[in-house]
Amino acid sequence: MDSKIVLNVAREEGRSRLKESYHNAPYKLTHYGAAGLTDHLEMIIMSASPGIMDTDYLHIDVHVKEEAHLKLFTQSFNKLHPMKTGAGQHTDVHVNAGGVFHYIPHPVTPFKDSIFKASNHIHLAEDAVLMWGDIISVGRIHMKEAFEFNRLHTQTKIFRNGKLSFIDNQLMSPKSQPIQKMLFFEGYTHQATFLFSALFAQELKQELDEILTVEYNDISYGFTQASTDVVILRALGTDGELLYDFLHMLGQLCWDFTQHKLSEKKENSMVRSIEKEKEKEKEKEKEKEKEKEKEKEKELVEDKKSVRKSSRKVVETGAIEGVKYA
Amino acid sequence: MNPLLTLMQINDSVFPIGGFTHSYGLETYINKEIVHDAKTAKEYAQTLLEHSFYYNDAAFFHKAWQLCESRATKKKIAELDALITAFKAPYEIRDASKKLGIRFLKLTEKLKPVKRCSTYLKAINTQELHGHYAMAFAMFAHAQQISYTDALSAFYYNSLNGIMTNCAKLVPISQMDAQQILFKLQPLINKLVALQPELDDDLIGNCCIAQDIRCMQHEKLYTRIYIS
Repeated sequence: MDSKIVLNVAREEGRSRLKESYHNAPYKLTHYGAAGLTDHLEMIIMSASPGIMDTDYLHIDVHVKEEAHLKLFTQSFNKLHPMKTGAGQHTDVHVNAGGVFHYIPHPVTPFKDSIFKASNHIHLAEDAVLMWGDIISVGRIHMKEAFEFNRLHTQTKIFRNGKLSFIDNQLMSPKSQPIQKMLFFEGYTHQATFLFSALFAQELKQELDEILTVEYNDISYGFTQASTDVVILRALGTDGELLYDFLHMLGQLCWDFTQHKLSEKKENSMVRSIEKEKEKEKEKEKEKEKEKEKEKEKELVEDKKSVRKSSRKVVETGAIEGVKYA
Repeated sequence: MNPLLTLMQINDSVFPIGGFTHSYGLETYINKEIVHDAKTAKEYAQTLLEHSFYYNDAAFFHKAWQLCESRATKKKIAELDALITAFKAPYEIRDASKKLGIRFLKLTEKLKPVKRCSTYLKAINTQELHGHYAMAFAMFAHAQQISYTDALSAFYYNSLNGIMTNCAKLVPISQMDAQQILFKLQPLINKLVALQPELDDDLIGNCCIAQDIRCMQHEKLYTRIYIS
């Protein structure tokens, strides 16, 4: 079954609002909680289907317009049912200037024999901000289906200003890889990838350097500067819910950091505009003073002219008198 | 010049480009005692070659070689360079590729200048391009009339040799064990070299999650002998 979810968010009167949106069965797109409760928009993707079936294809198309902020949620774990051909999902994201997009979906659970390809193309404008998560479990562990899926391929590409900035390419194929062993899952059953992309990503990395200093028993993680504008954190664990909470904690941290940076930017631009206005006023005053000085000079010149004229008259009258005497 | 001797020289583990200063995440594996004896060292090396190196540096070598076989325009070189940069997420791994690439290009320029390599080095120095060792190695080897199979086999061998040298130093495993693993994995290298042209473009840059994490964790290791 082919399905589509389209979501457009724009900023109006200081708030992010849902503009055009579209969804078809089995999906539903709705407000997450009460609409208008926050300045940013919160939406949730819901599904009436028990999961993704063979040959299903979903296209998600998200547009975050100028200065709009969106948090997109999912309802539950994304279950991939047994397949013969395979299912797919493609997500296109466009975040315009000043836009912020936060999307950390529930973990993907591939059942026995499932085949799935997910591709994500994220296009960010110059100063757009992205928080993105991706969690994969290795199957229904308690049903003894761990590592029984056929093939799971995820590709995520981030472009900033049209330039390729980061690619995550991960193929998991238990039949052709020593997937439980070294370099792959190493005894864990869940993996997570968190991406933060912003022009100030390096500053966030410095924050993480100070915050994430301890090693956990349940999670093995690492983070790095994947490019000048991307920070990536990858983790392995044994509990999908725990990784989901961990990524949401990181997402919220990045969200707050972003809001702080944006308010800082606003304050700076306000200070700059106030300073500019002050400078303009100073310039105006200077110009006024200059004009006054010019007027004074003019007056002086005119005064001198009038003095000269009167002295000439004296000479002239003297001369006339002289003529008379002569 | 003799292509075989040139290949032996540029692929030597003591070729002074700084290859011995990197472990590419292996130091974390040894620090966490996941790699702790000859058996685990072999398992690590084998999995790395087959599931990481084949999809990454060896694939980048192949792409660069293909460009050299056709018209390696500046635009195509720049595209491949940017693609590799986007794939190499862990900072230390990306930086290692750049540093080795620059030193390799500088050194080989003094041995036998190749126009394509000089242009690449110039673009890296002006920060127009990032710079990657796999590309530099392929470009120079191609210009020296070295065959594709020999150059790529040597490229795989050099990576394996680096792993074994590091294991002998750090785990430690005996030199005898290290040499045996090197010899035993020859058939794997032959297989991977033969399969290299068949790699689907969609799978280039495929990442092994734990390997990536160990490379990132290396940035925070308390004691570090290697740069990556």
